Amino acid sequence: MLKRFLSERPLRLPHLKPYVPRPSDPSIFWFNSERDDVISDVVNRICAAHETDRARLEMALNDAAFHEIRRLEKQRDQEARDRLGYWRSMIRRIGKMDDTEQRRVLHTIVTNMARDIAGNFDPRVYRFARLAAPRLIGGVMEPRRFTEGLMAGSPASLDRVLRVQGDLDHLRNLQNRGSLVFVPTHSSNLDSIVLSQALETSGLPPVIYGAGKNLFTNPIISFFMHNLGAYRVDRRIQVSLYKRVLKLYSQVMIERGYHSLFFPGGTRSRSGMIDRHLKLGLLGSAVGAFTANRVRRVDRPVWFVPTTINYALVLEAETLVKDWLTEEGQARYIIEDDEFSRIDRWFAFFRKMVGMRGGCIIRFGEPIDPFGNAVDTEGQSLTPTGRSIDAGGYVEHRGKAVVDAARDAAYTRELGEVLAQRFQKETLLMSTQVVAHVLFRDFVQSTPGMDLFARMRLRGEIGVDSETLCRELGEARERLLALERQGRVRTSEVVKEDSPEELLERALSFWNGYHDSTAATRQGDRIVIGDPSLLLYYQNRLVPFAPDIASPEQLKAACEIELLGGHQ
Amino acid sequence: MNLRIGVVGAGGFGRAIAQASARHGHEVVVWSRKDRELLDPIQTSTDIRSIRDCELIFMAVPARHAIEAAEQLGEVVDGRHLMVHISRGLIGPELRTITKVIAEKTVCRRLGALAGPLVADALAEGRPSGAILGTGFPELTEMVRDALGGSELRVYDTPDVVGVELASATVGFLTVVLAYAEEVGVGPSTLAVLATRGMVEVSRIGQTLGAEESTFMGLAGLGDLIAAVAGDERPEIRLGRALAKGATLSNAVGEAGAYIEGIEVAAQMMEHARRLGLETPISSTFVALSQGRISSDDAIHALMERRVGRE
Repeated sequence: MLKRFLSERPLRLPHLKPYVPRPSDPSIFWFNSERDDVISDVVNRICAAHETDRARLEMALNDAAFHEIRRLEKQRDQEARDRLGYWRSMIRRIGKMDDTEQRRVLHTIVTNMARDIAGNFDPRVYRFARLAAPRLIGGVMEPRRFTEGLMAGSPASLDRVLRVQGDLDHLRNLQNRGSLVFVPTHSSNLDSIVLSQALETSGLPPVIYGAGKNLFTNPIISFFMHNLGAYRVDRRIQVSLYKRVLKLYSQVMIERGYHSLFFPGGTRSRSGMIDRHLKLGLLGSAVGAFTANRVRRVDRPVWFVPTTINYALVLEAETLVKDWLTEEGQARYIIEDDEFSRIDRWFAFFRKMVGMRGGCIIRFGEPIDPFGNAVDTEGQSLTPTGRSIDAGGYVEHRGKAVVDAARDAAYTRELGEVLAQRFQKETLLMSTQVVAHVLFRDFVQSTPGMDLFARMRLRGEIGVDSETLCRELGEARERLLALERQGRVRTSEVVKEDSPEELLERALSFWNGYHDSTAATRQGDRIVIGDPSLLLYYQNRLVPFAPDIASPEQLKAACEIELLGGHQ
Repeated sequence: MNLRIGVVGAGGFGRAIAQASARHGHEVVVWSRKDRELLDPIQTSTDIRSIRDCELIFMAVPARHAIEAAEQLGEVVDGRHLMVHISRGLIGPELRTITKVIAEKTVCRRLGALAGPLVADALAEGRPSGAILGTGFPELTEMVRDALGGSELRVYDTPDVVGVELASATVGFLTVVLAYAEEVGVGPSTLAVLATRGMVEVSRIGQTLGAEESTFMGLAGLGDLIAAVAGDERPEIRLGRALAKGATLSNAVGEAGAYIEGIEVAAQMMEHARRLGLETPISSTFVALSQGRISSDDAIHALMERRVGRE
């Protein structure tokens, strides 16, 4: 009951005195004063699009009622008891309603949807989170220094674990000139937390982002998310109208200059591979925001910041890879019972991370315009040879800026491809991933003709001589560094600097003691593969580069690994 | 609508596009490296800046010049321009398509690939013909129809740009194979098997690069191949016949009288397929044949001996 109450009505602090934002405050500080205006803008645009076309309006209402009835009949919970009657009665009446009645019903439905989606921003909660979050995370990491951490600024343990890379000055320059849309890779539910922390420590603005409604069931997370600008996305709702409201909400926010964050992979990478097939819905809303501003002659550009979140150890690795390997994984979009929901795993995870330097690295890539072009420090779009161009030309037809949904959809598809390529270039390969790849390649080579699932059953049976593994590790690292010099890949400092022996020990140390099963262990002079699925998960980050870092003898196994990524 | 159209390249296709566009009342400027004189009212220029004010640009250069042409265009185009290319080749072992090259070298994003059974002479003279335009941008399709279409040319469209480019590039190679086979006396039934299984083979590779199978079976693939073997006298036919008569590859290319991209495409495809573990019996056999490593009898024997499966 409480869970439902919180997910329906997240807690807000009472307002004794309204907060008046200062000019220097980030754009999100103005959100609460604009919230109602944003909602009515979204509602008006959706209703206007259905105003003159009765068939379209009727289709939208029927679609909403049909999908909601189907969802609620399956849910059989309190929400179903409250709402099912409304939708059943409505679907019977749609055909008999006159135009005015249909428009009124549409207005009500869309308003409810927009209100449910829209977030809230409380500067007090923001300030508290800014101060407390690093200390609390630091405390979880090093309980013995918890009190010391509370008194100090950013705890040393957090700085040791979380590193930020990228041209931060460039991004800071752009933040007041237009809307920044951060588009990160997605591996863990911790991503939005560590990314918020990285933005904060880098002097970058807070962002709005869509969070699954399932995350709002935890009262503490719900309180913070709701009061820090997150908008709620209910992935259970299949209604077309809901998706349009969601995208339009995002578009209107970007049009108005709110910096945003999307995970274009849609969900956490189950396989551990770099996100490649990106979901275009919310990306399209940012492209639409660029066009809408240009058509209205508002000079507020939109830039995308491809961002990679790189972990040496992934909190939910076991559940994710299991999900990928089972057919069930195809259907399970929302996982609610993984390591993220277990506080003991959080403690174990952070303790393991703090013992290792640079366990999480966030890399902000160079910003690009919605058409994939680099931009200079002023935000001007650049050609490959550095000539400045006006990005507004992309939305012009015969000299005039126009809205063209088909054109913008094509731009969005191309942007998705550019971002997928940028993810590959900006991903930092971590020690555990490189060690896992070399070991997995040996595993494939020593089990020729065996399929992936048969290999996954070989627990504790296959081992490699430690000296051989270190030699191969050294060779693979040299080839990776050569690729890095060509600008095709990036490696972490640890991968660059540590000896192969140190890399191996570091990876074994990361795996052992955190995961329930271990990817590999040392048994005398041999490294024995424990849980091949975990090894597979960590090595999958290197799938696109496998043939490039293999010797001629290893090439066959490497090509087999490359095929795990599927075709284009 | 009256368009200002730029054509890059003054070869057979470049000139044909310029003539067709001018005939439909559009303002046309043709850029080429050498001074050219074309029929009035077509303007010509050796200065790439003459293209800057055009709304629609046709890039009509062979694939081997595409990078250079795109780099030059990169100096003058911006987001306002719409561009279509008519090259039949691919670049490098990774089978990079020409639209990818243009997107890398320029900031032009509204791109398309024009292909299918389109022949320069028919286009220039306004004889009835058809083509396929691969593009994600409906406004580009409209412009190309305005520029070239009318009652003489039916321009179909598909969003499968990579499919159109791959199908178009591989038809050249399959045309050489069929001309060769016909010259050595292969009968209609075997020719039909070679044509259809050859198309399946290239479409399978195309799908690994993101293309759709149906595009290979449409105007860009089978449609174009039918036109080629029905006798529109393409250089690929001459090349295939010369090879069948025992000419070396370089002599056969000389006899064909034009640069043929099909042979390179076949070798690039084989390399790509080998990496992915795909079988390419027709391409591999033909490459071995063109390099003189096997005889025509061996080639037919090797293909006929293969295990037969479901279609």
